[in-house]
Amino acid sequence: MFRILILILTIFSLSSCSSPEGTWGWYVIDPTTKAGWTNIKFLIGGFYSTILLSIIAAFLSIFIGLIVALPAMSDNKLLKLFNRIYVEFIRSIPLLPMLFWVFYGLPVILKSMGINANIDAFWGAIITLAISDSAFTAEIYRAGIQSISKGQTEAAKTIGLNYYQTMRYVIMPQALRRILPPLANQFIYIVKMSAFASVIGMQELTRRANEIVVTEYRPLEIYTLLIFEYLILVLLISFGVRYLEKKLGSNESANN
Amino acid sequence: MENTFAVEIQGLTKSFKDFRALDTIDLNIKHGEKVVICGPSGSGKSTLIRCINGLEEFDNGKILISGKPQNPAKESYVSDFHVGMVFQQFNLFPHLSVIENLKLGPMKSLGMSEKDAETRARKLLERVKIPEQALKKPNQLSGGQQQRVAIARALCMEPKLMLFDEPTSALDPEMISEVLEVIVDLAREGMTMVVVTHEMGFARKVADRIIFMDEGSIVEQNSPSMFFKNPQTARCKKFLNQILHH
Repeated sequence: MFRILILILTIFSLSSCSSPEGTWGWYVIDPTTKAGWTNIKFLIGGFYSTILLSIIAAFLSIFIGLIVALPAMSDNKLLKLFNRIYVEFIRSIPLLPMLFWVFYGLPVILKSMGINANIDAFWGAIITLAISDSAFTAEIYRAGIQSISKGQTEAAKTIGLNYYQTMRYVIMPQALRRILPPLANQFIYIVKMSAFASVIGMQELTRRANEIVVTEYRPLEIYTLLIFEYLILVLLISFGVRYLEKKLGSNESANN
Repeated sequence: MENTFAVEIQGLTKSFKDFRALDTIDLNIKHGEKVVICGPSGSGKSTLIRCINGLEEFDNGKILISGKPQNPAKESYVSDFHVGMVFQQFNLFPHLSVIENLKLGPMKSLGMSEKDAETRARKLLERVKIPEQALKKPNQLSGGQQQRVAIARALCMEPKLMLFDEPTSALDPEMISEVLEVIVDLAREGMTMVVVTHEMGFARKVADRIIFMDEGSIVEQNSPSMFFKNPQTARCKKFLNQILHH
C-alpha cells in the first residue's frame, strides 16, 4: 500500500515540475479548486455503479456458472453436451458485441415474443457480464470439482450420502479452496470489463471519465485518475480474497 | 434372519470396453461368514466387491444383498442392511477432523442428532484404539491410524456387511498389523465380511472361506486349511508360491 502511495505522489508531483510546454494539467482534478473538486466528485461518483454492477454480475455469474458446471460432471451425455455448447458458445463471443446484442437486440426478440421489456443500461450490462463470465466460472468449477479424487465421492456414497449431501459436505468444501483464487481472478475481470458498460450509457467510472474528458479536454490526467480508481478497487478485492483464502485454508497445499 | 445369505451373486458379468473384468461369477455369502478374496492384480477382486456395494455398474447377472437386488444407479443406499466399505486409499475427508469424518454419515444420512452421533463416534474411536486423535485432521495421522479411522467411519453406519478392498496395501509394513488387529476383532464379534487382501496369515486366521480369482473368474474356493494345504489348480499353486515364498 505504501509503495502505491509513493507512486501516486510521484505522478502527481510531475505536475508541478512538468515540462515548460505544460503537457500536464492536473488542475482539472485539483481538489483545492472548486471546479477541480466538482470534477473529482463527479468521477468518484462512478464507483457506486461500477461496484454495484460488478457485485451483482459476479454473484449471478457464480450462480449460473455452478448450474452450467454440474451437468458436465453427470453421466448423462445430453447434459454434458449442454455444458459444452454453453461454454464454447458463450466464451467465444466478445464482450462488446454481446453487450450490443443484449442491449439493442434482446428487447426486439422479447417484443416479438409479446413481452414488452425495456432493458436499461444497468441491467443490460449486468446480464452481459454475468452470462459472458459464467462460461469461465463454469470451467473453474468443473476443474475444481474434478480435481477432488473420485474416492471422495465413493466414500461419501458408502456412508449413505446422496448426491446433494456429497456435494454439500464433501466435495464443495474441498473444491472451494481450489476454486476461490481463480474465482477471485474472474471477479477482478468483471470489475474491469464493466468499463464496457460505458458505451451503452451506464454512468460508471469509465463513462464519467469520458464525459469529463469531452468537456475539459484533459484525457491524460483524467484517465490516469481512472486507472487508479480501478487499481484501488482491484486491490481491495485482492485483500478481501487473501483474507478469505486464509480463512478457508486455500493457501495450504492440499493433502489428498 | 429371513435370508440365509447376506450376499447372493448369480451370473455376474462386467466388462470395461474389451476387457472382461468379471466373467459369470456365482457366489453366495452367508450371514456371519468371513470371506477372503485373493488373486493376482487385474483378476477382478476389487471390481467384484465394488459391484457388491453398488459402486460399480455391471452388465449382466444379479446381486442380492440380504434378499434385495443391488442397484448401482440408485442415488443413495441407506437401508436396513447397510454395506460398509473400507478402501485401499482410506478416502477420508481431508477437510474434516477425525470425529467429523465419523459423524457425517450418521448425522446426514441416518438423521441422528449431533450428540448421539458424537457418542457413537467416540465409542468407535475407542474400539479402533485411537480415541485421542478425535480432533486431528486425517493428514496429521499415520497411514495405519487413517485406515483405522476409515474402519470406524464405516462402522458408524452400523453395517451388517463390511467390505475391505485391500485395506493394508497402501500401508507401510510396520502399520499393517495394527489395522489387521482391528479387522480380526471385528471378525470375532461376528461381522459378515468380504476382504480382498494378500495378507495370507490374516486369511488363515480369520477366513471361513478363501476365494481365489483369476481373469475375472472364481478359480478355486476352499476353507483356509484346505486352500493352503491342497490347492487344486495350477494357477492357484503358482499364485500361492509367488505370494508365500518371498
